Amino acid sequence: MNIASHPLLKLENITKRFKSLTAVNGVNLEVSHGEKLVIIGPSGSGKSTLLRSINLLEEIEEGTIHFEGREVGYVMRNAKRHPDRPQAISALRAEIGMVFQHFHLFPHMTVLGNVMEGPLTVLRKSADEARSIATDMLVKVGLSDKRDVFPATLSGGQKQRVAIARALAMRPKLMLFDEPTSALDPELVGEVFDTIHTLADEGMTMIIVTHHMGFARELADRVIFMESGNFLAQGTPEELFSAAQDNDRIRGFLNRLL
Amino acid sequence: MKYTASRAFVALLFLWTLTGSCFGAVDYDQLFRQSSDLMAQGDLDGALALLKQVPAPAADEEAGAFVSSRMQAGRILASQNETVKAIAVCQEVLKLFPDNSEARNFLAALKDQLKPGWHTVLSDVVRFLPSLARGAVMTLMLVLCTMLVSPLGGLLIALGRISTLRPVSGVCWFIIWFFRGTPLLLQLFFIYYGLPSLGITLSPFTSAVIGLGLNYSAYLGEIIRGAIQSIDHGQMEAAKAIGMSYSQAMRRIIVPQTYKRLMPPVGNEFIALIKDTALVSTIAMVELMRAADQLFNAYFNITALALAAVIYLVLTTIFTFIFEKIEYRAGIYEHR
Ligand SMILES: Nc1ncnc2c1ncn2[C@@H]1O[C@H](COP(=O)(O)OP(=O)(O)OP(=O)(O)O)[C@@H](O)[C@H]1O
Ligand SMILES: [Mg+2]
Repeated sequence: MNIASHPLLKLENITKRFKSLTAVNGVNLEVSHGEKLVIIGPSGSGKSTLLRSINLLEEIEEGTIHFEGREVGYVMRNAKRHPDRPQAISALRAEIGMVFQHFHLFPHMTVLGNVMEGPLTVLRKSADEARSIATDMLVKVGLSDKRDVFPATLSGGQKQRVAIARALAMRPKLMLFDEPTSALDPELVGEVFDTIHTLADEGMTMIIVTHHMGFARELADRVIFMESGNFLAQGTPEELFSAAQDNDRIRGFLNRLL
Repeated sequence: MKYTASRAFVALLFLWTLTGSCFGAVDYDQLFRQSSDLMAQGDLDGALALLKQVPAPAADEEAGAFVSSRMQAGRILASQNETVKAIAVCQEVLKLFPDNSEARNFLAALKDQLKPGWHTVLSDVVRFLPSLARGAVMTLMLVLCTMLVSPLGGLLIALGRISTLRPVSGVCWFIIWFFRGTPLLLQLFFIYYGLPSLGITLSPFTSAVIGLGLNYSAYLGEIIRGAIQSIDHGQMEAAKAIGMSYSQAMRRIIVPQTYKRLMPPVGNEFIALIKDTALVSTIAMVELMRAADQLFNAYFNITALALAAVIYLVLTTIFTFIFEKIEYRAGIYEHR
């Protein structure tokens, strides 16, 4: 299969409901290799739910997900959709890195232990191999001097960089960032954005949910404005900001942020 | 001159002893009778006064009356709890007759009485300690076996309870419901006395470990389930996000984080376990409680029970200390 002939990720008609609430409402999206996609939108618009649906942390009610051209996550049985086998789901997640707003570092492991954990347990690398991968990733996020401390001793920015290193250690093909800087003090935001920038420069494909418009404008190939589970507008940063002139909702949202 | 003086002295001595012995032989009997009468009437002081009238004998004089009067006085004094005075009386006799065995034995008995209470307690302790120690070792064995079995059982029950497989969580729910809802004593009786009628005969020790193990697995199961569910849901998501399976996430990420939270309640349960092993004494196990009970029944001596209490306290204190240490170690990653 020729990788270049497919988008890395293709979402068709993704719909996720929580009881009567439709969090994601029939979304279509294609993300090509190396693309940097930023999703913005008001609180509760379904941005997190969409990201979580991509790596199957949420089970969607409708739609299909294609990753590298193959359909993933669900199988049809007796004309009903079921989640795929747990192994298949885990295998997909291993290829997609996710960074959470609240880091979710493993508090009982050292920084190195956190970053080693994926290669060691999931990829079944030897301890030496896992350690060398983890060490490389910590160098990349600029935290090799913190390798032997526990997460509790780190600042928020450092924690988030460790979380990024932990995701990178799996050598993912796609990185999902869900508001990676929202839990940080303003002066710590920069170091995390710098790290993401480095990744972007290396050609990593990424989808980032963020409220930082300056960062979005700088980094994004494409910005999507999401509201009530729908994509209201999308385009290059310039296109979106000019579209905002005509759209009250987007303009209102951006004005509140700026 | 010198000659006459010594002669006169000897004559005098002779006369004195003669009259003395004649007089004594007759009158001391009467004196003893009188004193016995006074004692019978309850006038112990009067009897004492009479007995004291018997003088100390001279060197070669017959000592019977003196000794018996003093011994009698000593007994009266001892009965009045005047141990010190009774001892003085004994010593008065022994000064003149160091070999008098009656006085010596009496003195030894009196001195024993004078010894402080702890001395008696100490000798009791020395007497009871070996069998209590054997009982304590048995108690410790039970505790350690249960402490080995029940965390594993508890973890299985906890994981079963939070399983999405209905039959599994149902069975685990039932185990918790049954073993927490019935008395441990009844469970032990059922296993040891009841199962033989179903053709399963178990030794007391096996029965005890099974009973305690199931019981504590059920309790720990609920505690462990609570601890697992108290771990931030983000931890499971983060583990899944790097591709871990449910069991990998549980084993590597979730369960290890429960250790620190588990230590205080599990420590509590294990302290309770140390004391609950006493119930096992009812199914023919000679552990600490049973050993103490046997000693108490044999000697009717409360020291046996007190000593058992002390041993229980020592055990619980040691375990409390160990659990605190483990709790600190388990949570070391939280210390900044
Ligand atoms: N597990 C859940 N159960 C029920 N409702 C949920 C759940 N998760 C999300 N929702 C609802 O789905 C909607 C979309 O939530 P989502 O977290 O995706 O929004 P968001 O765009 O990420 O918002 P924010 O900017 O605040 O993070 C919200 O109304 C939210 O209340
Ligand atoms: Mg969100």
